[in-house]
Amino acid sequence: MAQKTVTIVIDEKGDSEIDLDGFADNSCGKVFEDFRGKDKVKTERKKAAFYTSQPVDKRTSTGR
Amino acid sequence: MSKYGVLETNITEEKYLVAALKEMGYQAEVHANGAALYGYEGRERPETANVIIRRGQLDSASNDIGFARTADGRYVARLSEYDQAIGFDQKWLNRVHQLYKEKQTIAVARAKGYVFRGREVIKTEQGERIQLRFAIR
Repeated sequence: MAQKTVTIVIDEKGDSEIDLDGFADNSCGKVFEDFRGKDKVKTERKKAAFYTSQPVDKRTSTGR
Repeated sequence: MSKYGVLETNITEEKYLVAALKEMGYQAEVHANGAALYGYEGRERPETANVIIRRGQLDSASNDIGFARTADGRYVARLSEYDQAIGFDQKWLNRVHQLYKEKQTIAVARAKGYVFRGREVIKTEQGERIQLRFAIR
């Protein structure tokens, strides 16, 4: 399982970017809020990894 | 003639503001109920603030710089036109924001159990960016 990491980049204006990696579940929402604190959210988006890392363990039978 | 302008900041926690100012070389005063700012000539001004850098730490002709807490809990900077013109301007305030955010982020992350993995300063054409990395236990 990938290590869950949080990267914060604080730019020269004092604004910050939060980048969450390695999350395959919904816990990234709580982590995002932990780091957001009382800051205003300008933009927020989910990354491709959020969609592609879901477990695919259910298979359907095609019935011959 | 000198007068004060009000610039909105996004700072809400006094201790990290004081820590940011300390890193910039200032020993800020903290006044829970606010205190008057003084002008370059040593006269008390009508403006008050909760976190104050006294003019003695600034330029010889500077006025006090203050950060006043508003009703919604944010701090706004009170800066004279003169001081903005000699370098205590938006860029200076941006640096206060940047250091505030760094200190607040590290403290909150530690308090919530995240593991600090490192700090890196990234130089860009626009200025320095601070990158902080954390892992989850």
